[in-house]
Amino acid sequence: MYQYTEKDQQLVNDRVEQYRDQTHRYLDKKIPEDDFRPLRLMNGLYIQRHAPMLRVAIPYGMLSSTQMRKLAHIARTYDKGYGHFTTRTNIQYNWPQLEDVPDILAELASVQMHAIQTSGNCIRNTTTDPLAGVTPDEIEDPRPWCEAIRQWSTLHPEFAYLPRKFKIAVTASPIDRAASQIHDIGVHLVKNSAGETGFEILVGGGLGRTPHLGQQIHPFLEKKHLLSYLEAILRVYNLLGRRDKKYMARIKILVNKIGIEAFKEKVEAEWQAIKNSDLELPNAEIERLQSHFQPHAYQARASEDLTLEAQLNTDPAFNTWYKKNTAEHKQPGYRVVYLSLKSFSRPAGDISDQQMEAIADLADQYSFGEIRATFNQNLVLADIEQKDLYALWKALVTLDLAKPNIGTLTDMIVCPGYDFCSLADASTLDIADQINARFDDLDYLYDLGDIHLNMSGCLNACGHHHTGHIGIMGVDNKGEFYYQIRLGGSASEEAKLGTALGRGYPADKIADILEAILNTYVENRLEGEPFIKTVDRIGIKPFKENANAITH
Amino acid sequence: MPLLINRTVAEDNWLTVDKPTELPAGNILVPLEDYLEATEAFSAHSGKVAVEVTPDDDITPLLAEPNRFELIAIHFPDFSEGRGFSFARLLRRAGYTGQLRATGYVTRDRLGYMQRCGFNAFDIPDEHYQTDDVQAFDEITVHYQ
Ligand code: HEM
Ligand code: SF4
Repeated sequence: MYQYTEKDQQLVNDRVEQYRDQTHRYLDKKIPEDDFRPLRLMNGLYIQRHAPMLRVAIPYGMLSSTQMRKLAHIARTYDKGYGHFTTRTNIQYNWPQLEDVPDILAELASVQMHAIQTSGNCIRNTTTDPLAGVTPDEIEDPRPWCEAIRQWSTLHPEFAYLPRKFKIAVTASPIDRAASQIHDIGVHLVKNSAGETGFEILVGGGLGRTPHLGQQIHPFLEKKHLLSYLEAILRVYNLLGRRDKKYMARIKILVNKIGIEAFKEKVEAEWQAIKNSDLELPNAEIERLQSHFQPHAYQARASEDLTLEAQLNTDPAFNTWYKKNTAEHKQPGYRVVYLSLKSFSRPAGDISDQQMEAIADLADQYSFGEIRATFNQNLVLADIEQKDLYALWKALVTLDLAKPNIGTLTDMIVCPGYDFCSLADASTLDIADQINARFDDLDYLYDLGDIHLNMSGCLNACGHHHTGHIGIMGVDNKGEFYYQIRLGGSASEEAKLGTALGRGYPADKIADILEAILNTYVENRLEGEPFIKTVDRIGIKPFKENANAITH
Repeated sequence: MPLLINRTVAEDNWLTVDKPTELPAGNILVPLEDYLEATEAFSAHSGKVAVEVTPDDDITPLLAEPNRFELIAIHFPDFSEGRGFSFARLLRRAGYTGQLRATGYVTRDRLGYMQRCGFNAFDIPDEHYQTDDVQAFDEITVHYQ
């Protein structure tokens, strides 16, 4: 994992003191409310329905056990004993006091963490594949590049007042586990025909009111030019992005307005001017960053263990969990383990301070002290030796983190909705409960196979409803909560935006409607055909007819 | 209007002229748009002429020969406007060596970023100015860019 240099540490320390001073001046009424707003936002502090909300950055989703313990400590000391993992692999606290935030930031700085640029119209936390460095299908580890982007974008003096927020995701595998196509910039490590690695760059993805997938702006960028190219894109966007209307301000609107070709021309022109500047990444710096992400000291003979086989044969519950919640590791004898934050007893992504402490201990015991967050709001212990899986599973069961539902219908992405968010049109948490209550038969869920259900409480799309195989979006229908349902979306390497079935359905009918949709799938699917493929093949009409039959 | 130049309070030797129909004597600061429309008329002016850029302006004409001016001002109409930061960088990159002044909604908490983009003068409105504002330049002591 990346370790801060003195300079990295100095920067976050300075930032804490700067923000402490800003908070004091705000409380002394020396900074007006409106001016304090962007300042607090750039330190992750929103004001929400009940209280402020603090969003802490987890750069590219990587956490050490020490950091996880600190997050637990903050939840306990400054909040109500829990936190919420978001779709951008950050963690949010829903109940901090505004006056406490400088102290919380100081606590974070003591473990090389911060809340810099986790909201506001600036470059946000860079995200990546939660299986970076351990998945057999990757070209190379994307995290050193993420760290390069983190540093370049942190307190960038020119890009702190962009037209709108800006999100970057990096992947290094043909399988996209980072939803890169719905980011303002998607960076893909790819190989060219000569076998060299470089970056394919996408631009203009984003959800919200007018969703768009990213379009290719560069097919193969030489690695050393990554930062100059990003800077060129950001500069063109900063100068030309619309600022008159919030909903027209994302880069996706600019790219689609002038067209990708015209946009590319402007970026290339700007890039020529800065390509050979000090933005060029020297080899020594690339190697320094890479040195922080070397493979762990794996046991060479881990795969010779025979206990796993026996445990899988004798304990069906373990076997099911193994199949659903673990994934292949590039090192023989190791597995990647998903910790489901979608147990039915808590909102998706929520985690208690005790769970955080326990996960930190398990990470120390079994997984080189590291934890990762995923955009589907789950956690990952990435390096588990197969002989330890059984013991780990037992521990996770006790912690309510072993629900074997990864990738199934109840592994939902859910934004906080009306209960917490002042922008919401409708609640989401009770709808998630309704779905969990109805679809609690795991065998039925397994039979349905891979289904991604994503839910947002309004059109801002924090819950990625456009890219769910099934997407649910809350709407306000004359003061009542209604829900629009979409089908056929995906955030994978074959990303697509879903199509809405109609205007919306009443809150108490959502589980019924889903059941009708799922039955339509089961009746129509071909042998082995996943849900999303059936939707592609037969279109949404039969689903819509069956869904509408429920409400008519 | 306290004016900070290179971090010290300085005298303003320029007169801002919003509607340049009748030009006062001395050194004047006029909107870029007006200057570009009537460049010749301004060249007849006895004092020096400087220009003020607003966010919607196209600064391409300035970039060709920025050192024609001893002072270029960039106006920030409000706290969220960010184009001026890129203007400043582009002007410095084009070789501009004169005074680059931030005007309009200039407040303590953006001084550091402004300086790092190339501004060296800050026209801070009275109601925002505190004598310890200069400290803001050193709040963050290290940077990556
Ligand atoms: C509760 C406080 C929250 C507020 C006020 C809020 C507000 C917003 C708004 C206004 C947008 C649309 C931005 C735009 O299109 O320009 C947005 C987008 C987004 N939010 Fe939130 N959000 C909140 C919480 C969350 C949470 C908890 C998550 C994660 C689960 C989240 C993840 C996202 C993501 C990923 C997007 C980007 C979608 C896109 O690409 O357009 N937000 N949020
Ligand atoms: S989608 Fe809407 S309701 Fe949900 S968190 Fe975002 S802004 Fe709030």
